[in-house]
Amino acid sequence: MSTLATKPIQDYTARDYRSDLKPIWCPGCGDFGVVQAIYRALANIGRPPHEIAFVSGIGCSSRIPGYTTAYGFNSVHGRALPIAQGIKLANPNLLVLVAGGDGDGFSIGGGHVAHAIRRNIDLTYIVMDNQIYGLTKGQLSPTSRRGLISVTSAHGSMEAPVNPLLYVLGYGAEFVAQGTPADMSGLAKVIEEGIRFPGFAFINVQSPCVTYGLEDQQLKAQKALMQPLESLNHDSSSSLAAMELAQQYGEKLYTGVLYRQGTPSPTFEGSARARHQALGAGTRPRAQVMDLFKLKK
Amino acid sequence: MNTDLVIGMAGSGGDGIVSAGESLLTAAAIEGYHGVLTKSFGPQIRGGESSFRLRLSTNKVLNTGGTLDIAVALNWDDFLRFGGELPVSGHTTVVYDSITKVPTDKIPLVGVQPAEVIAVPIEQMARETGGSERAKNTVVLGLMAGWLGIAREPMMAGIRKRLAKKEAEIIDKAVKAFHAGFEYAEAHPLTSDRKMAPPAESGSKFVVDGNDLCAAAAIVAGCDFFAGYPITPSTEIMQFLTREIWKYGGTVLQAEDEIAGIGAVVGASFAGKKAMTATSGPGMSLKTEILGLASIAELPLVCVNVQRGGPSTGIPTKSEQSDLLQAAFSAHGDVIRPVLAPVSAEDMYGITIEAFNIAEQYQSPVIILSDQEVGQRKETADPIDASTQQVIDRRRPGAQELEKYVRFRFTESGISPISHPGMARGNYLASGIEHNEAGAPTANGEMHARMNEKRLRKFRPLLDRRDLFIIDGPPDAPIALISWGSVAGVAIEALHIAQRQGLKVKLLVPKLMFPVSEAIYADFFLSVKRGLVVEQNHQAQLFRLMRMYVDVPHGIQTLAKSGSNPITPLEVVDRLRQITLALQQGKDREPSEV
Repeated sequence: MSTLATKPIQDYTARDYRSDLKPIWCPGCGDFGVVQAIYRALANIGRPPHEIAFVSGIGCSSRIPGYTTAYGFNSVHGRALPIAQGIKLANPNLLVLVAGGDGDGFSIGGGHVAHAIRRNIDLTYIVMDNQIYGLTKGQLSPTSRRGLISVTSAHGSMEAPVNPLLYVLGYGAEFVAQGTPADMSGLAKVIEEGIRFPGFAFINVQSPCVTYGLEDQQLKAQKALMQPLESLNHDSSSSLAAMELAQQYGEKLYTGVLYRQGTPSPTFEGSARARHQALGAGTRPRAQVMDLFKLKK
Repeated sequence: MNTDLVIGMAGSGGDGIVSAGESLLTAAAIEGYHGVLTKSFGPQIRGGESSFRLRLSTNKVLNTGGTLDIAVALNWDDFLRFGGELPVSGHTTVVYDSITKVPTDKIPLVGVQPAEVIAVPIEQMARETGGSERAKNTVVLGLMAGWLGIAREPMMAGIRKRLAKKEAEIIDKAVKAFHAGFEYAEAHPLTSDRKMAPPAESGSKFVVDGNDLCAAAAIVAGCDFFAGYPITPSTEIMQFLTREIWKYGGTVLQAEDEIAGIGAVVGASFAGKKAMTATSGPGMSLKTEILGLASIAELPLVCVNVQRGGPSTGIPTKSEQSDLLQAAFSAHGDVIRPVLAPVSAEDMYGITIEAFNIAEQYQSPVIILSDQEVGQRKETADPIDASTQQVIDRRRPGAQELEKYVRFRFTESGISPISHPGMARGNYLASGIEHNEAGAPTANGEMHARMNEKRLRKFRPLLDRRDLFIIDGPPDAPIALISWGSVAGVAIEALHIAQRQGLKVKLLVPKLMFPVSEAIYADFFLSVKRGLVVEQNHQAQLFRLMRMYVDVPHGIQTLAKSGSNPITPLEVVDRLRQITLALQQGKDREPSEV
């Protein structure tokens, strides 16, 4: 792992965020584009790598923290969000990123998404949604379409897919965007905006699996299908409008910001800081807590 | 004059039973007595039956005692529901409310003839003085003050303090109710003398319970973050911290589930903070995976298991010691994580501080195996001065190490200095996947073997920690008594009784349960021919664990009972007497005795 000294904000380039570790991804994997977009977004923001904590679960996309120079935590399947929240609450000054796949986030990790959203802890959750389990070689995922033939659905999937966009909007996420490596500048832009958003930000990335994905999911097909929201007169301040677009997940590929809350809710760590101040944290010795066990005559 | 009394009382949920027990303990503690108070309830959320057992003594006591010296029944249906928790014998003075209209020779206690049976107009006195039956518990406090000859002033002061915010009329009635009970006791002395001798030393004590004390000790140790999920009987730890830790700059998160709780704790530790979670058996099962992650990522944290009846949902409100093997071995893969077990509520302070210190020093999760008994019973304790408490912090890399920082560098001790996000030049990748010294993922066999070796070897100094064992009795004694956790409090008392009876017994109580200090056990066993391992779980888990790592003498046998089955000092002494006899007669240990 290369480490970096602190530079002035304006001097950070994408290169500064790239580690020396060689990705395990297949040539043509969508995740190459995603990590490039992340490097670009971070360079624009200019926080030194040592002030960034990048947490992931398990999967091809979860390898991403290791390909950056940030402090990384490639943890266990589905549990990146709780770990990331613990990091941010322990040190709210850090820039916290979370990455994973659609299985990591919406299958085993699904129970944690709602609570990360309702705590509104300032972190950016990037899901590389490719509707398949790539690392483990081709099992269906929670966003796989009904009828998909895979190594664990030999006769076809009998389930409806989860809609990640509706999922997070339904739980009250205040920044929801979608992107694709088929549009690199658009992707880098939503990632940067998500990081800058003061609260929980969700970015769904249609990052195709070149080995196990379907033809109509690959970058070429995406380029033809995608519809940038900026050119569609979409009101991103309306959660209802966002939900209408979100309903069309699977049929349409909207890119850009679906929803951005104009007056963001308080963050958990912001409320925590206010509480610490109000209670005079740091003004009393820890030993004082033992007074609670004294008996007064 | 008595130096040691056990009082048990039962009634309906609304009778104020529990607060009566706490008032009595507190008042006695102010006068310098030692005490242990346990409470028990029926399964209902409100109402139902409720009871307490209070053992008061002139000297330190470490368990709740045996049969009751004084039994108080506000009604018989509720008293009988507690069965063996409130055992009445031929030595017991039984007091009950005459409103039950049960004649003194017809009380519904089967197969026992108590020393004395008295019907007292408790509810009547409550109505006459307090205006309602709710003053019953206050009347009982007056009776106890009178019959035990203790704590009258502190109890009155306690009543006034508890009702300080109410109108003078209410305080007045409560004081009258107390006096009614007190005067009744003076007018009706007991045939068995229940007066308490003066305590060994004067001066007020602390009154603690294991859960609250664990939380307080965590704050003293430098804990800045707690995340957990409500689960009986551990929730008081989170509740104490959520009231207090913010005042010291800490944060509490009630997580969405047990897994998120330990996940957030791992994150906080990765970010450089001391962090803790608390749970019981079912929660430990859920946390298993992430505890293993913390072990391979070499992250410090403290995880408290307040054990309850198992398996699965088990018996949430009763104590048991059946999670020892899980604590030692539940991680998949080759993992050691230290396991500590306190022997009393008071002991929770030192054990919690130690747990944080060991976690930081060895960069590992540390499990504290408490139990419902230790966690929730109230006991007197010597005052604790935390102002001089030494705590250990994790070893962080210095400027030179940060020139080219290697997070998992192989060192002589096996411990590598640890950075955290925010520290310049300390950037690294933490992971659950096997990794090389730099933290990069690897599948290489040689690296894996070296990493396993490093991660396990780093704990070796723990095996020399004799200070984490209680060893007592003549070093050359041929009979061993071994116990752990709250049951050790029973064993310690049994040891003293056995020694007074001339039995040649010595005691070993591990507080460091795992890793198993083979040398310390082997040294203890040198003189030992026979012995008894006493614990509250069906499989005799400590006995089995010892035999995995130590040449346990063939003559060691077990007294292993499932939870919700009290173990008493006299019962242990009985077994030690049988063992002594067998040893004298040259008999071998029966296979069925383990």
